[in-house]
Amino acid sequence: MNHIGHGNKEIVERVIAPEEAARAIKGLTPVPVSNQIANEIIDIAYGFFTPLEGFMTRADVDRVCKEMRLANGVLWSIPIVFDMSSEEINEKGIKEGDKILLTFQNQPMAILEVEEIFAYDKQEMAQRVYGTTEEKHPGVARTYRYKDKFLGGKITLVNPPKINPPFEEFFFTPRQMRQKFAEKGWQRIVAHQTRNVPHTGHEWLMKGSWLQAHGELPVEKTITGVLVNAIIGEKRKGDYIDEAIVLCHDVLRKAGYFREDVHMTSITLWDMRYAGPREAVFHAILRTNLGLTHHMFGRDHAGVGTYYDPYDAHRIFDQIPEADLRIKPVRVLEWWYCPVCAEVTYSGLCGHIKERQNFSGTLIRSIIQDGVKPPRLIFRPEVFDLIMECAEKYGFGDAFVTDRYLKERNPVFVLPEMKY
Amino acid sequence: MSITINIWINEERLAKLQKAGLAEMAQEVLAGLKVLKVPCTEEQKDKVLKVFPTAKYDSATTRSIELLPREVKDKIFDKVVEKQSLDIMEDFLKDY
Repeated sequence: MNHIGHGNKEIVERVIAPEEAARAIKGLTPVPVSNQIANEIIDIAYGFFTPLEGFMTRADVDRVCKEMRLANGVLWSIPIVFDMSSEEINEKGIKEGDKILLTFQNQPMAILEVEEIFAYDKQEMAQRVYGTTEEKHPGVARTYRYKDKFLGGKITLVNPPKINPPFEEFFFTPRQMRQKFAEKGWQRIVAHQTRNVPHTGHEWLMKGSWLQAHGELPVEKTITGVLVNAIIGEKRKGDYIDEAIVLCHDVLRKAGYFREDVHMTSITLWDMRYAGPREAVFHAILRTNLGLTHHMFGRDHAGVGTYYDPYDAHRIFDQIPEADLRIKPVRVLEWWYCPVCAEVTYSGLCGHIKERQNFSGTLIRSIIQDGVKPPRLIFRPEVFDLIMECAEKYGFGDAFVTDRYLKERNPVFVLPEMKY
Repeated sequence: MSITINIWINEERLAKLQKAGLAEMAQEVLAGLKVLKVPCTEEQKDKVLKVFPTAKYDSATTRSIELLPREVKDKIFDKVVEKQSLDIMEDFLKDY
């Protein structure tokens, strides 16, 4: 099977067996890590971030910021860094050449081979990656929250996570995902990036991009699929709860809005940076590694506020040589409701510009919060009913993230108990 | 296109509108939803976002302020019914 990922590099899993792991971690200095770092350890170890084998060294960070490339020249758009304070580094006596044990949930998680300890100007990083130094940009704020030093080096997962229900059936490593695609007989797969419960605008974005990706291929047999890849990461109050996002996407197929043989739901662990065009490139890289051939990009992909033009995330692909990406961008305009056509229709085709009625995920959230059930043409009743079910089952009575959900939710994954 | 706050009409709000003889004030949108579109100026929008931090201005798609707490929208709705007008934001924001 083809396991070639981004940068034409083989997807390698950096995971060691339990017996070897127990020996390897003996005597290493433990360093607890944040949720973000824990997610990224999993991503690196299973090859989601191929060709990265660890957290970036200064040369990688610098070239990513300035030229959107790794030090070896491979296209890369977002710095993947492990931050630590000088105080903690001194206190624990960590120096270049050491191996340290990264822990999470009070359990061993991974070994980091400390190749380099370095500082980087966070304002410079923010300006280059996000195009702004304003702290109200969530990606910039995340950058400023980094501690004053970064540790670069390879990581090895020593304690594979156990993914909790209901997410376990949607988590596939890049190798597992490619196996799935082979079983389905899919030759072309188009990614739908999401952090939202789907309304019919999303449904049509997926259907439209499936048609675009399928293109000239024969139609008697299904050889093209849509992969919903939900980003599971840091939540903010008022977001849909993760369980509702994943299960509601999956119900679109279960309820027949997509055929069983063309649609699949999956998750990736990642804290969104809202880097607009740069994040679009990152998403393309991520989905390349998952084995996809096409990636749909809609209006204002991974944007926030008014920091990016709605189609910056389309245009950035014009600047990238085709040979640098093993995935094709599928660029789409929005779908809107047209009362004249009496349907949800593509803005690139519908001529009833004055009559059009735009809707968005935020608007639908508002409708639901007002206690109104949206019409099925806008929001599928099966999705609505499932949101309500998820609210009861996972959200402490609320479909949207609350303080209680943030504190008491069942974690997406746990690290099994391991002696060290 | 002006900035609006969308007050979606649920059964309770519809009953109040009908009682006040204002049912016609609601527009029908999105294949059968009823909504009161309460207009806001740029300054009023900024104040709403400051006073109610959960609110979000959807500048990209709908140019509307969304995700206001339901009780706040109930108050805006009640003000519309009381004044029999959609033009109430200046009055509403006096209390904040």
